[in-house]
Amino acid sequence: MKIRFWGVRGSFAMSGRDFLRYGGNTTSVELVTNAGQRLLIDLGTGATELAKSLMSVEFGKGQGSLPILLSHTHLDHIQGLPFFTPFFIKGNEIRILGANPISGLSLESTLQNQLAPHYSPLNGLENLAAGVSIETITAGDTIQLPGFEVVTAAVPHGSMWTTAYRITADGKTVAYLSDVEYPSPEEPVDIALGLAQDADLLIHDAMHADHDYEQRRGWGHSPARAGVVLAERAGAKKLALFHHSPDATDDMIDEVVTRTAASTAVPVFAAAEGSYLDI
Amino acid sequence: MQITFWGVRGSYPVPGAATVRYGGQTSCVEVRSTSGECLIVDAGTGMRALGNKLLREAQGPMHHHVLLSHVHWDHIQGMPFFGPAYVPGTKISVYALLTAADELNDVIGGITRHEFFPMPLEAVPAHFEFHQVEPGVDFEIGPFHVMPIALNHPFGSVGYRIDCDGSSWAYVADTAPFDQVLHKQHFLKGPEPLSEDDRIALAAMREALVRRLDGVDTVIYDTHFLPDEYARFPHYGHSTPDQALEICGLAKVRRLVLYHHAPTHGDEQMDKIAAEYLAKGANVGIEVLTSFEGMTLPIGPEPGAT
Repeated sequence: MKIRFWGVRGSFAMSGRDFLRYGGNTTSVELVTNAGQRLLIDLGTGATELAKSLMSVEFGKGQGSLPILLSHTHLDHIQGLPFFTPFFIKGNEIRILGANPISGLSLESTLQNQLAPHYSPLNGLENLAAGVSIETITAGDTIQLPGFEVVTAAVPHGSMWTTAYRITADGKTVAYLSDVEYPSPEEPVDIALGLAQDADLLIHDAMHADHDYEQRRGWGHSPARAGVVLAERAGAKKLALFHHSPDATDDMIDEVVTRTAASTAVPVFAAAEGSYLDI
Repeated sequence: MQITFWGVRGSYPVPGAATVRYGGQTSCVEVRSTSGECLIVDAGTGMRALGNKLLREAQGPMHHHVLLSHVHWDHIQGMPFFGPAYVPGTKISVYALLTAADELNDVIGGITRHEFFPMPLEAVPAHFEFHQVEPGVDFEIGPFHVMPIALNHPFGSVGYRIDCDGSSWAYVADTAPFDQVLHKQHFLKGPEPLSEDDRIALAAMREALVRRLDGVDTVIYDTHFLPDEYARFPHYGHSTPDQALEICGLAKVRRLVLYHHAPTHGDEQMDKIAAEYLAKGANVGIEVLTSFEGMTLPIGPEPGAT
Protein backbone atom coordinates (compact mmCIF):
# COMPACT_ATOMS: atom_id res chain seq x y z
CA MET A 1 0.00 0.00 0.00
CA LYS A 2 1.12 3.53 -0.80
CA ILE A 3 0.07 6.63 1.04
CA ARG A 4 0.29 10.22 -0.10
CA PHE A 5 -0.38 13.30 1.99
CA TRP A 6 -2.18 16.00 -0.03
CA GLY A 7 -3.12 18.20 2.89
CA VAL A 8 -1.72 18.06 6.43
CA ARG A 9 -2.77 21.39 7.94
CA GLY A 10 -5.49 21.72 10.56
CA SER A 11 -8.22 24.34 10.85
CA PHE A 12 -7.10 26.80 8.21
CA ALA A 13 -5.19 26.71 4.90
CA MET A 14 -1.92 28.65 5.22
CA SER A 15 -0.12 30.13 2.26
CA GLY A 16 3.28 31.80 2.13
CA ARG A 17 6.97 31.09 2.56
CA ASP A 18 6.74 29.81 6.13
CA PHE A 19 4.61 26.84 5.12
CA LEU A 20 6.29 25.52 1.99
CA ARG A 21 8.04 22.42 3.31
CA TYR A 22 5.19 20.88 5.31
CA GLY A 23 2.48 22.49 3.21
CA GLY A 24 -0.47 24.74 3.94
CA ASN A 25 -3.39 22.77 2.54
CA THR A 26 -5.98 21.35 4.90
CA THR A 27 -6.40 17.62 5.41
CA SER A 28 -6.60 15.09 2.63
CA VAL A 29 -4.80 11.73 2.46
CA GLU A 30 -4.75 9.24 -0.43
CA LEU A 31 -4.19 5.49 -0.07
CA VAL A 32 -3.46 3.27 -3.07
CA THR A 33 -3.23 -0.53 -3.00
CA ASN A 34 -0.56 -2.45 -4.90
CA ALA A 35 -3.26 -3.26 -7.46
CA GLY A 36 -4.00 0.46 -7.93
CA GLN A 37 -7.28 0.72 -6.00
CA ARG A 38 -7.67 4.10 -4.43
CA LEU A 39 -9.19 5.53 -1.26
CA LEU A 40 -9.26 9.12 -0.06
CA ILE A 41 -9.63 10.35 3.51
CA ASP A 42 -11.05 13.85 4.04
CA LEU A 43 -11.72 16.61 1.54
CA GLY A 44 -9.75 19.61 2.80
CA THR A 45 -8.12 21.97 0.31
CA GLY A 46 -5.40 19.35 -0.28
CA ALA A 47 -7.99 17.40 -2.28
CA THR A 48 -7.94 20.11 -4.96
CA GLU A 49 -4.29 19.24 -5.66
CA LEU A 50 -5.05 15.53 -5.85
CA ALA A 51 -7.94 16.36 -8.19
CA LYS A 52 -5.48 17.76 -10.74
CA SER A 53 -3.57 14.49 -10.90
CA LEU A 54 -6.78 12.41 -11.00
CA MET A 55 -8.05 14.41 -13.96
CA SER A 56 -5.05 13.31 -16.00
CA VAL A 57 -6.03 9.65 -15.54
CA GLU A 58 -9.40 7.90 -15.79
CA PHE A 59 -11.28 10.59 -13.83
CA GLY A 60 -10.75 13.09 -16.64
CA LYS A 61 -12.57 10.69 -18.97
CA GLY A 62 -15.46 10.02 -16.62
CA GLN A 63 -14.28 6.49 -15.87
CA GLY A 64 -13.04 6.90 -12.33
CA SER A 65 -14.46 5.48 -9.16
CA LEU A 66 -13.39 6.63 -5.73
CA PRO A 67 -14.53 6.10 -2.17
CA ILE A 68 -13.93 9.04 0.19
CA LEU A 69 -14.00 8.64 3.97
CA LEU A 70 -14.77 11.74 6.03
CA SER A 71 -13.54 12.01 9.61
CA HIS A 72 -16.15 14.72 10.24
CA THR A 73 -17.60 17.79 8.54
CA HIS A 74 -15.75 20.69 10.14
CA LEU A 75 -14.86 22.99 7.27
CA ASP A 76 -11.17 22.16 7.09
CA HIS A 77 -12.13 18.58 6.23
CA ILE A 78 -14.69 19.37 3.52
CA GLN A 79 -13.74 22.76 2.06
CA GLY A 80 -12.16 21.11 -1.00
CA LEU A 81 -15.42 19.37 -1.94
CA PRO A 82 -16.84 22.12 -4.19
CA PHE A 83 -13.53 22.28 -6.08
CA PHE A 84 -12.78 18.57 -6.43
CA THR A 85 -12.99 18.45 -10.22
CA PRO A 86 -13.77 14.71 -10.62
CA PHE A 87 -17.26 15.65 -9.31
CA PHE A 88 -17.82 17.71 -12.46
CA ILE A 89 -17.22 14.88 -14.96
CA LYS A 90 -20.16 12.72 -15.90
CA GLY A 91 -19.51 9.02 -15.53
CA ASN A 92 -17.25 9.18 -12.47
CA GLU A 93 -18.65 7.31 -9.50
CA ILE A 94 -17.78 8.84 -6.16
CA ARG A 95 -18.90 7.56 -2.77
CA ILE A 96 -18.66 9.81 0.29
CA LEU A 97 -18.77 7.85 3.53
CA GLY A 98 -18.96 9.37 6.98
CA ALA A 99 -20.93 9.50 10.21
CA ASN A 100 -23.82 11.88 10.78
CA PRO A 101 -22.14 15.00 12.27
CA ILE A 102 -24.45 15.43 15.24
CA SER A 103 -27.56 13.69 16.36
CA GLY A 104 -30.58 14.64 14.28
CA LEU A 105 -28.51 15.92 11.36
CA SER A 106 -27.59 13.67 8.46
CA LEU A 107 -24.29 13.70 6.59
CA GLU A 108 -26.19 14.30 3.37
CA SER A 109 -28.07 17.37 4.58
CA THR A 110 -24.82 18.78 6.01
CA LEU A 111 -23.09 18.51 2.64
CA GLN A 112 -26.21 19.92 0.98
CA ASN A 113 -25.97 22.91 3.35
CA GLN A 114 -22.35 23.40 2.33
CA LEU A 115 -23.48 23.68 -1.29
CA ALA A 116 -26.60 25.71 -0.49
CA PRO A 117 -27.16 28.57 -2.94
CA HIS A 118 -26.02 31.30 -0.55
CA TYR A 119 -22.68 29.61 -0.09
CA SER A 120 -21.95 28.01 -3.44
CA PRO A 121 -22.98 28.47 -7.05
CA LEU A 122 -23.17 24.65 -7.28
CA ASN A 123 -26.49 24.94 -5.49
CA GLY A 124 -26.72 21.34 -4.26
CA LEU A 125 -25.19 17.88 -4.61
CA GLU A 126 -27.66 17.06 -7.38
CA ASN A 127 -25.84 19.46 -9.70
CA LEU A 128 -22.59 17.51 -9.54
CA ALA A 129 -22.26 15.75 -12.89
CA ALA A 130 -20.59 12.63 -11.46
CA GLY A 131 -22.57 9.89 -9.78
CA VAL A 132 -22.30 10.77 -6.09
CA SER A 133 -23.57 8.62 -3.26
CA ILE A 134 -23.57 9.76 0.35
CA GLU A 135 -23.33 6.79 2.70
CA THR A 136 -23.80 7.12 6.42
CA ILE A 137 -21.42 5.21 8.65
CA THR A 138 -22.31 4.13 12.15
CA ALA A 139 -19.11 4.28 14.17
CA GLY A 140 -18.08 0.73 14.97
CA ASP A 141 -19.01 -0.55 11.51
CA THR A 142 -16.48 -2.45 9.48
CA ILE A 143 -16.70 -1.51 5.82
CA GLN A 144 -15.39 -3.41 2.81
CA LEU A 145 -14.21 -1.15 0.00
CA PRO A 146 -12.53 -2.44 -3.17
CA GLY A 147 -9.06 -3.41 -1.97
CA PHE A 148 -9.51 -2.05 1.57
CA GLU A 149 -11.01 -3.20 4.84
CA VAL A 150 -11.99 -0.26 7.04
CA VAL A 151 -12.75 -0.46 10.75
CA THR A 152 -14.43 2.68 12.10
CA ALA A 153 -14.69 4.15 15.58
CA ALA A 154 -15.94 7.36 17.20
CA VAL A 155 -13.28 9.32 19.09
CA PRO A 156 -13.73 12.47 21.20
CA HIS A 157 -13.16 15.89 19.59
CA GLY A 158 -14.06 18.63 22.05
CA SER A 159 -17.82 18.68 22.42
CA MET A 160 -18.36 16.31 19.49
CA TRP A 161 -17.07 13.06 18.00
CA THR A 162 -15.09 12.37 14.90
CA THR A 163 -14.72 9.09 13.04
CA ALA A 164 -11.31 7.46 13.20
CA TYR A 165 -10.30 4.71 10.78
CA ARG A 166 -8.17 1.56 10.79
CA ILE A 167 -7.53 0.70 7.16
CA THR A 168 -5.99 -2.56 5.99
CA ALA A 169 -4.81 -3.38 2.48
CA ASP A 170 -2.10 -5.63 1.06
CA GLY A 171 -1.59 -7.01 4.58
CA LYS A 172 -0.60 -3.58 5.94
CA THR A 173 -2.52 -1.32 8.30
CA VAL A 174 -2.86 2.44 8.63
CA ALA A 175 -4.68 4.09 11.53
CA TYR A 176 -6.05 7.60 10.95
CA LEU A 177 -6.92 9.60 14.05
CA SER A 178 -7.20 13.24 13.07
CA ASP A 179 -9.08 15.72 15.27
CA VAL A 180 -9.01 13.86 18.55
CA GLU A 181 -8.39 14.80 22.17
CA TYR A 182 -8.22 12.35 25.06
CA PRO A 183 -8.96 13.07 28.72
CA SER A 184 -5.18 13.50 28.96
CA PRO A 185 -2.35 12.95 26.46
CA GLU A 186 -1.18 10.16 28.75
CA GLU A 187 -4.55 8.41 28.64
CA PRO A 188 -5.64 7.49 25.11
CA VAL A 189 -9.16 6.07 25.09
CA ASP A 190 -9.46 2.28 24.68
CA ILE A 191 -11.15 2.60 21.33
CA ALA A 192 -8.13 4.50 19.98
CA LEU A 193 -5.80 1.80 21.34
CA GLY A 194 -7.85 -0.80 19.51
CA LEU A 195 -7.69 1.08 16.20
CA ALA A 196 -3.95 1.68 16.39
CA GLN A 197 -3.05 -1.83 17.62
CA ASP A 198 0.12 -2.98 15.79
CA ALA A 199 -0.57 -0.53 12.95
CA ASP A 200 2.22 -0.12 10.41
CA LEU A 201 1.53 3.62 10.41
CA LEU A 202 -0.37 5.76 12.89
CA ILE A 203 -1.48 9.17 11.56
CA HIS A 204 -2.34 11.26 14.60
CA ASP A 205 -3.60 14.74 15.44
CA ALA A 206 -0.61 16.83 16.60
CA MET A 207 -2.17 20.28 16.39
CA HIS A 208 -0.34 21.57 19.44
CA ALA A 209 3.27 21.58 20.49
CA ASP A 210 3.48 19.93 23.92
CA HIS A 211 4.42 23.22 25.64
CA ASP A 212 1.39 24.98 24.10
CA TYR A 213 -1.13 22.36 25.07
CA GLU A 214 -2.15 23.35 28.59
CA GLN A 215 -3.77 26.62 27.52
CA ARG A 216 -5.57 24.86 24.67
CA ARG A 217 -6.88 21.87 26.58
CA GLY A 218 -10.49 21.10 25.72
CA TRP A 219 -10.35 22.54 22.20
CA GLY A 220 -10.59 19.05 20.72
CA HIS A 221 -7.01 18.58 19.54
CA SER A 222 -3.95 16.74 20.76
CA PRO A 223 -0.38 17.69 21.54
CA ALA A 224 2.34 15.66 19.79
CA ARG A 225 2.78 13.69 23.02
CA ALA A 226 -0.69 12.06 22.71
CA GLY A 227 0.28 10.36 19.44
CA VAL A 228 3.51 9.10 21.01
CA VAL A 229 1.73 7.57 23.99
CA LEU A 230 -0.86 5.93 21.75
CA ALA A 231 1.80 4.59 19.36
CA GLU A 232 3.87 3.13 22.21
CA ARG A 233 0.94 1.51 24.01
CA ALA A 234 -0.64 0.17 20.82
CA GLY A 235 2.64 -1.06 19.37
CA ALA A 236 2.31 1.07 16.22
CA LYS A 237 5.44 0.83 14.08
CA LYS A 238 5.60 4.42 12.91
CA LEU A 239 3.98 7.72 13.87
CA ALA A 240 3.03 10.56 11.51
CA LEU A 241 2.31 13.86 13.28
CA PHE A 242 -0.64 15.36 11.40
CA HIS A 243 -3.13 18.25 11.40
CA HIS A 244 -0.47 20.87 12.08
CA SER A 245 -1.58 24.14 13.63
CA PRO A 246 -2.00 27.06 11.20
CA ASP A 247 0.39 28.96 13.49
CA ALA A 248 3.12 26.31 13.15
CA THR A 249 5.73 27.38 10.60
CA ASP A 250 8.07 24.87 8.97
CA ASP A 251 10.78 25.64 11.50
CA MET A 252 8.42 25.18 14.41
CA ILE A 253 7.29 21.80 13.07
CA ASP A 254 10.96 20.77 12.68
CA GLU A 255 11.46 21.53 16.36
CA VAL A 256 8.40 19.51 17.39
CA VAL A 257 9.66 16.55 15.37
CA THR A 258 13.14 16.72 16.89
CA ARG A 259 11.82 16.95 20.41
CA THR A 260 9.19 14.26 19.90
CA ALA A 261 11.58 11.84 18.22
CA ALA A 262 14.00 12.21 21.14
CA SER A 263 11.25 11.16 23.55
CA THR A 264 10.38 7.78 22.08
CA ALA A 265 11.72 4.68 20.36
CA VAL A 266 8.87 4.78 17.84
CA PRO A 267 10.01 6.34 14.53
CA VAL A 268 8.29 9.74 14.23
CA PHE A 269 7.93 12.18 11.36
CA ALA A 270 5.70 15.13 10.56
CA ALA A 271 3.39 14.51 7.61
CA ALA A 272 4.39 16.80 4.74
CA GLU A 273 2.24 17.77 1.77
CA GLY A 274 3.11 15.89 -1.40
CA SER A 275 5.17 13.21 0.35
CA TYR A 276 4.77 9.51 -0.49
CA LEU A 277 5.22 6.59 1.81
CA ASP A 278 5.43 2.97 0.84
CA ILE A 279 4.04 0.88 3.63
CA MET B 1 -7.47 56.97 2.32
CA GLN B 2 -5.48 53.80 1.92
CA ILE B 3 -6.37 50.19 1.09
CA THR B 4 -4.49 47.00 1.96
CA PHE B 5 -5.03 43.61 0.36
CA TRP B 6 -5.18 40.66 2.80
CA GLY B 7 -6.56 38.13 0.33
CA VAL B 8 -6.61 38.43 -3.47
CA ARG B 9 -7.48 34.89 -4.55
CA GLY B 10 -10.84 33.65 -5.82
CA SER B 11 -12.73 30.43 -5.07
CA TYR B 12 -10.51 28.76 -2.45
CA PRO B 13 -7.21 29.31 -0.65
CA VAL B 14 -4.16 28.09 -2.56
CA PRO B 15 -1.07 27.42 -0.42
CA GLY B 16 2.21 26.40 -1.95
CA ALA B 17 5.32 27.47 -3.80
CA ALA B 18 3.35 28.81 -6.80
CA THR B 19 1.50 31.48 -4.78
CA VAL B 20 4.21 32.81 -2.50
CA ARG B 21 4.44 36.23 -4.15
CA TYR B 22 0.82 37.02 -5.08
CA GLY B 23 -0.64 35.16 -2.12
CA GLY B 24 -3.00 32.25 -1.63
CA GLN B 25 -5.71 33.63 0.66
CA THR B 26 -9.19 34.58 -0.52
CA SER B 27 -10.90 38.00 -0.78
CA CYS B 28 -10.38 40.51 2.00
CA VAL B 29 -9.46 44.20 1.78
CA GLU B 30 -8.81 46.68 4.61
CA VAL B 31 -9.62 50.37 4.11
CA ARG B 32 -8.22 53.16 6.29
CA SER B 33 -9.23 56.78 6.34
CA THR B 34 -6.54 59.39 6.90
CA SER B 35 -7.86 59.66 10.46
CA GLY B 36 -7.23 55.92 10.93
CA GLU B 37 -10.78 54.62 10.83
CA CYS B 38 -11.16 51.16 9.37
CA LEU B 39 -13.56 49.31 7.09
CA ILE B 40 -13.19 45.70 5.99
CA VAL B 41 -14.50 44.55 2.62
CA ASP B 42 -15.20 40.82 2.37
CA ALA B 43 -14.38 38.16 4.90
CA GLY B 44 -12.42 35.59 2.90
CA THR B 45 -9.50 33.69 4.38
CA GLY B 46 -7.30 36.81 4.24
CA MET B 47 -9.33 38.04 7.20
CA ARG B 48 -7.45 35.78 9.62
CA ALA B 49 -4.14 37.61 9.20
CA LEU B 50 -5.92 40.99 9.22
CA GLY B 51 -7.60 40.05 12.50
CA ASN B 52 -4.26 39.10 14.03
CA LYS B 53 -2.82 42.48 13.02
CA LEU B 54 -5.83 44.34 14.43
CA LEU B 55 -5.42 42.42 17.70
CA ARG B 56 -1.77 43.48 17.96
CA GLU B 57 -2.73 47.12 17.41
CA ALA B 58 -5.84 47.22 19.57
CA GLN B 59 -5.89 49.10 22.86
CA GLY B 60 -9.17 47.44 23.83
CA PRO B 61 -12.39 46.06 22.31
CA MET B 62 -13.18 47.63 18.95
CA HIS B 63 -16.16 48.11 16.69
CA HIS B 64 -15.43 46.57 13.27
CA HIS B 65 -17.46 47.12 10.11
CA VAL B 66 -17.45 44.43 7.44
CA LEU B 67 -18.99 44.98 4.00
CA LEU B 68 -19.76 41.74 2.17
CA SER B 69 -20.08 41.54 -1.60
CA HIS B 70 -21.94 38.24 -1.25
CA VAL B 71 -21.76 35.13 0.91
CA HIS B 72 -20.06 32.48 -1.20
CA TRP B 73 -17.54 30.56 0.91
CA ASP B 74 -14.48 32.36 -0.44
CA HIS B 75 -15.90 35.67 0.81
CA ILE B 76 -16.96 34.62 4.32
CA GLN B 77 -14.69 31.74 5.33
CA GLY B 78 -12.32 33.98 7.29
CA MET B 79 -15.00 35.26 9.65
CA PRO B 80 -14.79 32.41 12.20
CA PHE B 81 -11.00 32.90 12.30
CA PHE B 82 -11.13 36.69 12.85
CA GLY B 83 -9.27 37.07 16.15
CA PRO B 84 -11.07 40.21 17.41
CA ALA B 85 -14.34 38.24 17.41
CA TYR B 86 -13.02 36.40 20.47
CA VAL B 87 -12.36 39.57 22.49
CA PRO B 88 -15.30 40.31 24.82
CA GLY B 89 -16.79 43.74 24.21
CA THR B 90 -15.99 43.69 20.49
CA LYS B 91 -18.79 44.67 18.16
CA ILE B 92 -18.90 43.49 14.55
CA SER B 93 -21.35 45.08 12.12
CA VAL B 94 -21.84 43.10 8.93
CA TYR B 95 -23.39 44.62 5.80
CA ALA B 96 -24.68 42.52 2.93
CA LEU B 97 -27.09 42.41 0.05
CA LEU B 98 -30.80 42.24 0.76
CA THR B 99 -31.29 38.79 -0.71
CA ALA B 100 -28.65 37.43 1.62
CA ALA B 101 -29.33 39.72 4.53
CA ASP B 102 -32.90 38.48 4.86
CA GLU B 103 -31.24 35.50 6.44
CA LEU B 104 -27.81 36.95 7.04
CA ASN B 105 -27.76 36.04 10.68
CA ASP B 106 -28.65 32.47 9.68
CA VAL B 107 -26.16 32.44 6.83
CA ILE B 108 -23.21 33.78 8.81
CA GLY B 109 -24.36 31.82 11.86
CA GLY B 110 -24.64 28.82 9.56
CA ILE B 111 -20.91 28.67 8.87
CA THR B 112 -20.28 28.25 12.57
CA ARG B 113 -22.96 25.65 13.15
CA HIS B 114 -21.69 22.67 15.09
CA GLU B 115 -21.19 20.51 12.02
CA PHE B 116 -18.90 23.09 10.35
CA PHE B 117 -17.02 24.80 13.19
CA PRO B 118 -16.36 24.08 16.86
CA MET B 119 -18.01 27.23 18.24
CA PRO B 120 -21.46 28.53 17.26
CA LEU B 121 -21.81 32.24 16.51
CA GLU B 122 -23.96 32.76 19.63
CA ALA B 123 -21.06 31.57 21.78
CA VAL B 124 -18.48 33.86 20.13
CA PRO B 125 -17.76 36.72 22.57
CA ALA B 126 -18.13 39.55 20.01
CA HIS B 127 -21.56 41.01 19.47
CA PHE B 128 -22.61 40.67 15.82
CA GLU B 129 -25.20 42.86 14.16
CA PHE B 130 -26.40 42.55 10.59
CA HIS B 131 -27.44 45.24 8.13
CA GLN B 132 -29.07 44.85 4.75
CA VAL B 133 -27.72 46.91 1.90
CA GLU B 134 -29.63 47.79 -1.23
CA PRO B 135 -28.05 48.77 -4.54
CA GLY B 136 -28.59 52.48 -5.12
CA VAL B 137 -29.19 53.30 -1.46
CA ASP B 138 -26.09 55.02 -0.04
CA PHE B 139 -25.13 55.04 3.62
CA GLU B 140 -22.39 56.31 5.92
CA ILE B 141 -20.02 54.41 8.17
CA GLY B 142 -17.96 56.92 10.14
CA PRO B 143 -16.09 59.06 7.58
CA PHE B 144 -16.86 56.65 4.72
CA HIS B 145 -19.66 57.26 2.24
CA VAL B 146 -20.68 53.85 0.87
CA MET B 147 -22.61 53.28 -2.36
CA PRO B 148 -23.73 49.69 -3.05
CA ILE B 149 -23.84 48.70 -6.73
CA ALA B 150 -25.67 45.64 -8.14
CA LEU B 151 -23.39 43.12 -9.87
CA ASN B 152 -23.96 40.07 -12.08
CA HIS B 153 -23.19 36.92 -10.09
CA PRO B 154 -25.08 33.74 -9.13
CA PHE B 155 -27.69 34.61 -6.48
CA GLY B 156 -26.64 38.25 -6.53
CA SER B 157 -23.59 40.19 -5.49
CA VAL B 158 -22.96 43.81 -4.70
CA GLY B 159 -20.01 46.09 -5.35
CA TYR B 160 -19.19 49.18 -3.30
CA ARG B 161 -18.01 52.65 -4.19
CA ILE B 162 -16.41 54.22 -1.14
CA ASP B 163 -15.70 57.94 -0.87
CA CYS B 164 -13.60 59.42 1.91
CA ASP B 165 -10.90 62.08 2.43
CA GLY B 166 -11.81 63.74 -0.89
CA SER B 167 -11.11 60.67 -2.95
CA SER B 168 -12.83 57.47 -3.97
CA TRP B 169 -12.29 53.83 -4.82
CA ALA B 170 -14.61 50.97 -5.68
CA TYR B 171 -14.73 47.24 -5.04
CA VAL B 172 -16.27 45.39 -7.99
CA ALA B 173 -16.28 41.67 -7.14
CA ASP B 174 -17.64 39.19 -7.87
CA THR B 175 -19.17 39.89 -11.23
CA ALA B 176 -19.59 38.48 -14.71
CA PRO B 177 -19.68 40.89 -17.64
CA PHE B 178 -23.05 42.20 -18.78
CA ASP B 179 -23.63 40.66 -22.18
CA GLN B 180 -23.81 36.85 -22.42
CA VAL B 181 -25.27 35.64 -19.14
CA LEU B 182 -27.71 37.11 -16.64
CA HIS B 183 -27.25 35.47 -13.25
CA LYS B 184 -30.41 34.83 -11.32
CA GLN B 185 -31.47 32.61 -8.45
CA HIS B 186 -30.92 29.22 -10.03
CA PHE B 187 -28.08 26.89 -11.00
CA LEU B 188 -26.67 27.40 -14.51
CA LYS B 189 -25.28 24.36 -16.30
CA GLY B 190 -24.19 26.68 -19.07
CA PRO B 191 -25.25 29.98 -20.64
CA GLU B 192 -29.02 30.17 -21.09
CA PRO B 193 -30.69 32.09 -23.96
CA LEU B 194 -31.39 35.70 -22.99
CA SER B 195 -34.93 37.05 -23.16
CA GLU B 196 -35.56 40.66 -24.15
CA ASP B 197 -36.14 41.46 -20.45
CA ASP B 198 -32.81 39.82 -19.58
CA ARG B 199 -31.02 42.02 -22.09
CA ILE B 200 -32.69 45.11 -20.68
CA ALA B 201 -31.76 44.05 -17.13
CA LEU B 202 -28.11 43.49 -18.12
CA ALA B 203 -27.88 46.81 -19.94
CA ALA B 204 -29.38 48.60 -16.93
CA MET B 205 -26.93 46.93 -14.53
CA ARG B 206 -23.99 47.84 -16.73
CA GLU B 207 -25.17 51.43 -17.17
CA ALA B 208 -25.66 51.86 -13.40
CA LEU B 209 -22.20 50.42 -12.70
CA VAL B 210 -20.52 52.77 -15.19
CA ARG B 211 -22.44 55.74 -13.80
CA ARG B 212 -21.48 54.94 -10.21
CA LEU B 213 -17.82 54.37 -11.10
CA ASP B 214 -17.67 57.67 -12.98
CA GLY B 215 -14.41 59.43 -12.17
CA VAL B 216 -13.44 57.04 -9.36
CA ASP B 217 -9.72 57.07 -8.63
CA THR B 218 -9.13 53.32 -8.18
CA VAL B 219 -11.32 50.34 -9.06
CA ILE B 220 -10.61 46.83 -7.76
CA TYR B 221 -12.26 44.41 -10.19
CA ASP B 222 -12.99 40.67 -10.34
CA THR B 223 -10.65 39.57 -13.15
CA HIS B 224 -10.65 35.87 -12.29
CA PHE B 225 -10.47 34.70 -15.91
CA LEU B 226 -8.26 35.16 -18.90
CA PRO B 227 -10.26 35.50 -22.14
CA ASP B 228 -9.87 31.84 -23.17
CA GLU B 229 -10.94 30.67 -19.71
CA TYR B 230 -13.94 32.97 -19.77
CA ALA B 231 -14.97 31.57 -23.16
CA ARG B 232 -15.17 28.10 -21.59
CA PHE B 233 -16.93 29.17 -18.38
CA PRO B 234 -19.05 32.27 -19.18
CA HIS B 235 -21.67 31.10 -16.67
CA TYR B 236 -19.31 31.00 -13.64
CA GLY B 237 -19.93 34.64 -12.76
CA HIS B 238 -16.46 36.17 -13.26
CA SER B 239 -14.82 38.66 -15.64
CA THR B 240 -11.59 39.13 -17.54
CA PRO B 241 -9.18 42.09 -17.29
CA ASP B 242 -10.31 43.17 -20.79
CA GLN B 243 -13.91 43.40 -19.63
CA ALA B 244 -12.80 45.34 -16.54
CA LEU B 245 -10.78 47.73 -18.72
CA GLU B 246 -13.80 48.37 -20.91
CA ILE B 247 -15.99 49.34 -17.93
CA CYS B 248 -13.21 51.46 -16.40
CA GLY B 249 -12.63 53.20 -19.73
CA LEU B 250 -16.29 54.16 -19.99
CA ALA B 251 -16.25 55.42 -16.40
CA LYS B 252 -12.99 57.37 -16.89
CA VAL B 253 -11.36 55.60 -13.96
CA ARG B 254 -7.70 56.49 -13.29
CA ARG B 255 -6.49 53.15 -12.02
CA LEU B 256 -7.68 49.53 -12.27
CA VAL B 257 -6.50 46.83 -9.87
CA LEU B 258 -6.83 43.20 -11.00
CA TYR B 259 -8.25 41.08 -8.18
CA HIS B 260 -9.86 37.70 -7.32
CA HIS B 261 -7.17 35.75 -9.16
CA ALA B 262 -8.04 32.22 -10.31
CA PRO B 263 -6.60 29.59 -7.96
CA THR B 264 -4.85 28.01 -10.96
CA HIS B 265 -2.87 31.16 -11.81
CA GLY B 266 0.57 30.76 -10.22
CA ASP B 267 3.06 33.57 -9.64
CA GLU B 268 4.78 33.26 -13.02
CA GLN B 269 1.51 33.42 -14.89
CA MET B 270 0.42 36.35 -12.72
CA ASP B 271 3.62 38.18 -13.68
CA LYS B 272 2.71 37.75 -17.34
CA ILE B 273 -0.87 38.87 -16.76
CA ALA B 274 0.38 41.91 -14.83
CA ALA B 275 2.80 42.93 -17.61
CA GLU B 276 0.33 42.32 -20.40
CA TYR B 277 -2.45 44.38 -18.86
CA LEU B 278 -0.16 47.13 -17.63
CA ALA B 279 0.66 47.67 -21.32
CA LYS B 280 -2.95 47.30 -22.47
CA GLY B 281 -4.06 49.81 -19.85
CA ALA B 282 -1.37 52.29 -20.86
CA ASN B 283 -2.79 52.24 -24.41
CA VAL B 284 -6.12 53.52 -23.10
CA GLY B 285 -4.78 55.80 -20.39
CA ILE B 286 -5.58 53.59 -17.39
CA GLU B 287 -2.94 52.49 -14.91
CA VAL B 288 -3.40 48.74 -14.37
CA LEU B 289 -1.98 47.17 -11.22
CA THR B 290 -2.22 43.53 -10.19
CA SER B 291 -3.05 43.01 -6.53
CA PHE B 292 -0.98 40.79 -4.29
CA GLU B 293 -1.35 39.85 -0.66
CA GLY B 294 0.12 42.58 1.54
CA MET B 295 -0.10 45.32 -1.14
CA THR B 296 -1.01 48.74 0.22
CA LEU B 297 -2.29 51.48 -2.08
CA PRO B 298 -2.78 55.14 -1.25
CA ILE B 299 -6.02 56.31 -2.89
CA GLY B 300 -5.95 59.68 -4.56
CA PRO B 301 -4.52 61.33 -7.64
CA GLU B 302 -1.18 61.89 -5.95
CA PRO B 303 0.08 58.72 -4.30
CA GLY B 304 0.93 59.45 -0.71
CA ALA B 305 -1.00 62.72 -0.72
CA THR B 306 -3.93 61.30 1.25
